[in-house]
Amino acid sequence: MEKLVRKQGAFTANYAMKRQTRKKLLNHNSPWKYGVLIVTIIVMLLSALPSLFGEDAAIEVSNKAGLSVSLIELHKQLQLAGIDIKRIDQADGQTLVVLAKQAQQTQTKLLLAKLVAKPEHLTLALAPAAPSWLLSLGVAPIKLGLDLRGGVQFLLDVDLEPVYRLHGESLVDSIKQFSREQKLMGTQVRYGDDDSIILVLANSETSDQYRQFIRSQHPRWQVKQEGDGILTVSLKQTEKELLRDFTVKQNLQTMRGRISQLGITEALVQRQGEHRIRIELPGVQDPAAAKSVIGATASLAFYEVKPPGSVNAKILRDDTLTPVYVSRKPVLGGEHIIDARAGIGEMGGAEVSITLDNAGGKLMSAFSRDNIGHPMATSYSEYSRNAQGEVSQQTRVISIATIQSQLGNRFSITGAGDYQEAQQLALLLRAGSMTAPVTIVEERTIGPSLGAENIVNGFAALALGMAMTLVFMGFWYRRLGWVANVALVANIVILFGLLALIPGAVLTLPGIAGLVLTVGMAVDTNVLIFERIKDNLKQGRDFAHAIDRGFDSAFGTILDANLTTMITAVVLYSIGNGPIQGFALTLGLGLLTSMFTGIFASRALINWAYGRNFNRDVRV
Amino acid sequence: MMSIFNVKRVNSKFAEMKMLTKLRYFSSLISLSLMILSLSVIAVKGFNWGLDFTGGVVTEVRLDSKVASKDISALLSLASEQEVSVISAGEPGRWVLRYSLPSTQEDVSQHAMDIEQVLQPLNSDVEVLNSSIVGPQIGQELAEQGGLALLVAMLCIMAYLSYRFEWRLASGSLLALFHDVIFVLAFFSLTQTEFNLTVLAAVLAILGYSLNDSIIIADRIREGLRTEPGLPIAEINDRAVKATFSRTMVTSGTTLMTVIALWVMGGGPLESFSIAMFIGILTGTWSSISVGTCLPEVFKLNSDHYRLVPVSDTP
Repeated sequence: MEKLVRKQGAFTANYAMKRQTRKKLLNHNSPWKYGVLIVTIIVMLLSALPSLFGEDAAIEVSNKAGLSVSLIELHKQLQLAGIDIKRIDQADGQTLVVLAKQAQQTQTKLLLAKLVAKPEHLTLALAPAAPSWLLSLGVAPIKLGLDLRGGVQFLLDVDLEPVYRLHGESLVDSIKQFSREQKLMGTQVRYGDDDSIILVLANSETSDQYRQFIRSQHPRWQVKQEGDGILTVSLKQTEKELLRDFTVKQNLQTMRGRISQLGITEALVQRQGEHRIRIELPGVQDPAAAKSVIGATASLAFYEVKPPGSVNAKILRDDTLTPVYVSRKPVLGGEHIIDARAGIGEMGGAEVSITLDNAGGKLMSAFSRDNIGHPMATSYSEYSRNAQGEVSQQTRVISIATIQSQLGNRFSITGAGDYQEAQQLALLLRAGSMTAPVTIVEERTIGPSLGAENIVNGFAALALGMAMTLVFMGFWYRRLGWVANVALVANIVILFGLLALIPGAVLTLPGIAGLVLTVGMAVDTNVLIFERIKDNLKQGRDFAHAIDRGFDSAFGTILDANLTTMITAVVLYSIGNGPIQGFALTLGLGLLTSMFTGIFASRALINWAYGRNFNRDVRV
Repeated sequence: MMSIFNVKRVNSKFAEMKMLTKLRYFSSLISLSLMILSLSVIAVKGFNWGLDFTGGVVTEVRLDSKVASKDISALLSLASEQEVSVISAGEPGRWVLRYSLPSTQEDVSQHAMDIEQVLQPLNSDVEVLNSSIVGPQIGQELAEQGGLALLVAMLCIMAYLSYRFEWRLASGSLLALFHDVIFVLAFFSLTQTEFNLTVLAAVLAILGYSLNDSIIIADRIREGLRTEPGLPIAEINDRAVKATFSRTMVTSGTTLMTVIALWVMGGGPLESFSIAMFIGILTGTWSSISVGTCLPEVFKLNSDHYRLVPVSDTP
């Protein structure tokens, strides 16, 4: 006979058993649970508090800047100029001028520039406005996105095509040379699609020779037979990716270096996607200055080093500003460098291996043959446009190395320090070769007044939404309503606390919209539970048992209902960008915190207040 | 577990129950015809895609409130080959200027006008509140990404629904979901309100919220099918709708209140977001009761589909 088991029946039986075992513990939370709850809320409250005070615009005067006046004098001068100063802090030689108005930040920086020896050591900064006892606990305000703070944002595209093409050209040169040396006549070399190179052989029997040559001399390329006497040579996919990574990282590094000259403490330079770089400059109001710095070009040159004091020489300086005498004309420029990588040499020391193109190889070979045992200097120059549109050049020597033997188009530089320094040098060499042009594909400017307006509007909406919800819940559910209200307030506190704690979490305008939605939706958890409690009361249970069953039966539904929104929040976060990620973050976090406060915290409250209420005539 | 409705009350309210079923079918008919209407609106009118998806330049400026829009247009058309649209942005003296960019490989900012310079002859303080320059390829990519996000979210939700509910029951929630999204999209198409990234985020959020109501009703229907297998499905659905009605109203009510707060106080940037959410929540509530419950009935969902798996005697 077939035995049908009703799941529901089985469930109830099971449930009854469970009820019996914990009969004594109906609506009872152990003290440690209350402890966890209280500690969580206090920690989150402390973490959320600094955001309430916000941040003030400030100018940081580092001790390298050489402030020429006393603090009192500084205060007086700034006040005379009409700057509204909140306070001036000084610690470890570093001075922080905190302003009352963000709009005066740039003006103050210009004024301060006249009072210091080196204006490049002035940086725009933000100082938390919270009292110092709070900050000493190690908590910080929530980071605001550009749409709330004002600033400039760029998206740069790194064009990789020239990088691949350069490698292709070098291979073509090399193959042509091989053909000449091996006397393989009539081989045609041309460029194919997708940065590949096509070899059309006059004699198909020579194909093995070419394959052998490419495999041994150019291991980064792979050869494919396309037909009789036709070979397609293309970069291996892993090599292409490696090259792309290298190029983008090198550009990132260069951009970071350049952006640091702008003097913005919280500037952000990060990779986005495969070949994009996002730059965020909070507080910057004029994109022109930033653009000229981003658009700077770099170049590299190798020089013959002359003895100190030579007459017919030019003087370059290295990092420590020691003068280096070099020949007037460089041996060759960075445009000949195809690749530079750091590695470990035969002697176990760090080295940088450099690959030059054919023309560069010839120049280097001729020069090094005559200069074995002599030092050679490598210089790095950056050209940038200043605010007046003039081009300024900065050149420094990044390495001096002794030529050990005649060099060809592949050689290495040793003595550049440890492996890390070698990597740094390789990065600079590649940067100097300027193989991947960078273009600005997106530029957004948010004025500071609009940012402030967005904050005010966003939080006004949050306050209004919250107030309406609190009043409504208080009236609708009466005694249980206040539980929901306490849970809602705790929810918002925890949400703000988490936003301030999570590294990388940024609050944007859509993020505030997410917070407002959370307020409306968070009560749903409580509503579901309260409706179930009402149902149970109608069925004639006493209050305490109705509470117990209400919570139990609503749990599954709550989980189901929140999961779909969680799915969209996760999808939005992983696919979206900037402001949208901010929305996904508050939406997703809001779901988690509302489950915590709606189920755990409100249960604790209800147990404490009504857990022992066995009255059957309760109205909810 | 579920015996909220004792037999007496069911009998006395029988006539009303019938009424509710009729109401559900009637509202489903309205929903279906609205859906067809919405789809044709979208097909005919298309969308007014925002800068995020098309690329181009949008600048918001604050000028002297006496400056007229035709003066601005005149100056801008002198400076630019592209047609520049000048739209008032709420308060007097605040304008949104928008124009497209030629598709080139160069830096996007090279083709953007220096608005402050162009508007110099107006003799007014020009304050650039915000400015966005988006290259055409970025717009294309964002549009693709947005479409992908929508698709992935839909697929994940379908996978979740089919795992959690029997397909006949899930189909109702799914139709309700499409209904809501199509309705919101049709609104943006009909009014030609700008469809930007924030609106897309709202549409995705609606995907999540719309299901919220449907799932809670579906949960009750499933419970009803299990506990009272003898009842006709229409009856079970009516009861599920009634049992969840006050919860649906309270939650939709509080969410609508906060969205209205966002609409009223949130300012320009959040306006279209709030409108999208507002419509989404309204239709979400409506559709969870109408098409959400009727489609499973059309597919002849019955308690057999939730009968529990027979346990065979031989292991």
